[in-house]
Amino acid sequence: MYVPYSIVNPLTIVQIARRLPRPGDILVGVGDTVEPAHIVAQTVRPADFRIINVARELNVPLKKVKNYIKVEQGERVSEGDVLAARGGLSGGSCRAPIGGTIVGSGRGRLLLEADPQPIRLNALVPGVVVDTRPSEGVLIETVGAYIQAAWGNGLEAYGPLRVIARAPRHPLRPKHIDPASQGTILVGGARLDEETIERAIEMQVRGIIVGGLPSRLLSLAEGAGFPIVATEGIGKTPMSKATFDLLRSLDGRDVALSAQLRPRWGAKRPYIVVPMPSEAGTPVDPDAPIVVGSRVRALAPPARSSISRRGCLNSRPARG
Amino acid sequence: MMADEQSIESILIADCGAVITKLLLLERVEASYRFVAQAETLTTINPPWSDISAGVVHAIEEIEEITGRALYMRGQLITPREGPNGVDAFVAILSAPEPLRVVIAGLVREMSLESAYRAASGAYTRTEAMLSREGSLHSPQETWARSVRDLAPDVVLLVGGIDGGASRPVMELAEAIALAASMLEEDQRPRVLYAGNAQIRPNVTKLISDITSVEVVDNVHPTADTEHLGPTQRALETIYVNKRLNSTPGADTLRLWSRSELLPTATAFSRIVDFLWYRERNTDRGALGIDLGAATTSVAATFNERSYVTIYEQGIAYGPTDWVEEHGVDRLLRWIPEEVEDPQDIFDLLYNRELRPWTIPQEPQELLMEQAVAREILHSALDVAHPTWNAGKAQQYPTLMPRFDPILISGGGIVHLPRPGQALLIVLDGVQPVGISTILLDINRAAPALGAVAGIKPLAAASALEAGTLVSLGTVISPVGKARPGDTVLKMHIAYEDGGDLDVEARYGEIEIWPLLPGQKATLKLKPTRRFDVGMGPGRGGKIQAIGGVVGLVVDARGRPLSLPDDPDHRRRRLNRWIWDVGG
Repeated sequence: MYVPYSIVNPLTIVQIARRLPRPGDILVGVGDTVEPAHIVAQTVRPADFRIINVARELNVPLKKVKNYIKVEQGERVSEGDVLAARGGLSGGSCRAPIGGTIVGSGRGRLLLEADPQPIRLNALVPGVVVDTRPSEGVLIETVGAYIQAAWGNGLEAYGPLRVIARAPRHPLRPKHIDPASQGTILVGGARLDEETIERAIEMQVRGIIVGGLPSRLLSLAEGAGFPIVATEGIGKTPMSKATFDLLRSLDGRDVALSAQLRPRWGAKRPYIVVPMPSEAGTPVDPDAPIVVGSRVRALAPPARSSISRRGCLNSRPARG
Repeated sequence: MMADEQSIESILIADCGAVITKLLLLERVEASYRFVAQAETLTTINPPWSDISAGVVHAIEEIEEITGRALYMRGQLITPREGPNGVDAFVAILSAPEPLRVVIAGLVREMSLESAYRAASGAYTRTEAMLSREGSLHSPQETWARSVRDLAPDVVLLVGGIDGGASRPVMELAEAIALAASMLEEDQRPRVLYAGNAQIRPNVTKLISDITSVEVVDNVHPTADTEHLGPTQRALETIYVNKRLNSTPGADTLRLWSRSELLPTATAFSRIVDFLWYRERNTDRGALGIDLGAATTSVAATFNERSYVTIYEQGIAYGPTDWVEEHGVDRLLRWIPEEVEDPQDIFDLLYNRELRPWTIPQEPQELLMEQAVAREILHSALDVAHPTWNAGKAQQYPTLMPRFDPILISGGGIVHLPRPGQALLIVLDGVQPVGISTILLDINRAAPALGAVAGIKPLAAASALEAGTLVSLGTVISPVGKARPGDTVLKMHIAYEDGGDLDVEARYGEIEIWPLLPGQKATLKLKPTRRFDVGMGPGRGGKIQAIGGVVGLVVDARGRPLSLPDDPDHRRRRLNRWIWDVGG
């Protein structure tokens, strides 16, 4: 579950957790300086595999299968290699459907595992490694603008920011996405439509930041191939003015965009980090109470996504 | 040092839900125990805190402010009491941790797999996949193994074959599971719970135990027409407690303060439903409790000294989007008493609610949608729970609900609604009770907490329940039968204990409410028409005692099963009429 506040801060100390999806190797140490493309950890994706039923394919009894098998456990094979054969003119053979390694055999079958595919985790942000968790991931600290968003399509990117919308309420339209958008992270105002996403795919943009995304576009956005982040949530919601103004002030800078989302267990939420060449900035205190003067954002209609300062406080705690 | 049971006079109870952590202070006030303070804060199981005890401490600070007494000092809860400060005991219940991720593997979907799913629903689990042969000629071992390896669940529940029945297909499943486990890192390998054909237990254990841990329990489907879910449910609950509850970040702090082990919330809640049944010990009726939470819905039922718990995977905030994917948005829209211009707006609302579960509806349409979700989640949760019950004489009509009295409703999804009539209507629509029931509302969400208290001081829990912790919405009479709209369903003479009487009639298609105030008693003489049954047999009436509630004496004369008009305009008129009838 997300906490009921969103950080929109022009200069703060940000700690970004970089976690492997499965246990692996950590390639950096505490104190190391990293750049966005720096590989900080790596692991392997579970390899494809095949169970080859030799007994059935060669039509031989289980007890006799071992007489026909031509490969050893641990042996590497290429796609099409003969794994077992009966010999003779009508004997037939059993070939490897994929390249890989024979990792097991028994009950008339062979287990063939493909070469595992590496997963390399980059730093995403420039900064300093402040903590490592063996085989899990690292914590990178950086200084810059930090914006927490509401929804994301699960992908990540680092690239130059290009603010297209002129106001938080302006939607991002296909005509706004010209060849100069290639490789940039676009900022729209209120929302997207199908044509805009398709145009963005065509123009090879690196990412999109928008206020709201209608739920009918979720599956299209999830398949876009680049990160899409909605700062306010789902629907036709304008971007909050504070977020929009901050992003506009950062137009042209390089930004890290993470659209990873896990609202329910683990509470992973999308964010935008704009690194700054500064050592100033203070971390955000998650336990800071809401007091008179705190900046609050309306999450529901009629004033959704508008921001104001809290003028009075109800003595009773808010009910969730 | 802990206070002994006799000397416990104050108990602090923490109820850590998926979204909200609630803290209640129960104290002895003269001869009885009463709740004297409560506080709610956000649950802190997730970042940036990642420590469930932090939310409890936040709530303790609020209780300190309310009561003016110190409860927490130098990072510790003060227990037992030290003079005016601290409490004698602390207990904690949790539903916040992630459910166990379970893959179910079996042979026939309509038999062992469905039984296994119902058994898994007895604990906090999320079923990620169901593997079966599905009519395939050859055993799809590669597909099974790939599913288990890629999902890397916490538990694989392997079932299939009646005792002494099929063995080869079950062994093929076991081989695929063993293969998948062998391809995972040791600490990622699922635990296997075997609840299939008892005759091949040694073979399954031998095959799997070298690779990962395997536990054997009684077959969920020992014969073609019997189901035996209890041992599997208990085994899954034990795994949940060990793997999730006790390893939740911050749980060690709560355990240190507590007099007893941390309890799953649904277990604590079912104790109260048990208590409600044992209070009457009526073998003709069961007691039902439904706790509609943010992430899960717990259904606890007790019949004839046997308790049943079902934890449905979806709640009022987390789950409606998945629910709509499975059942379609029309089932929600049919409960909206006004035209919805763009159903897409409904999806947007549901997604945003899931992103921000601590928000509450701000606009009428949002509230109506949330109430529609509550109706359907109740209905779906009962659909899963109902087949697990052996309701005995309470089950008068096989396709309808058994007779329940009382029906206890808990959870923020219903009890926080603006008007009690709205809560009542959701229960009538979602549960569709039959016969005569008292509807109790757990307005302070104290029932699960009292279930936890019952483990250390049963007298205090019983005393608090008797002292009016649960609010009665009223006595509801739900005749079973069908007629034409406007036909008389029931004639009733109401004789108020404190004087005065009324002769009334209920007509088909209406919800009728007559005054009967909270605590007020009346004798009802019921005369249903011959096609209707109020629980005494078709057309048979009799005298009953009724106690009032905040809504009153209710006759739901819409028939069972409840059917809504197909014509949208007609349906909306009916819905609005019913909302008006209950004062919602």
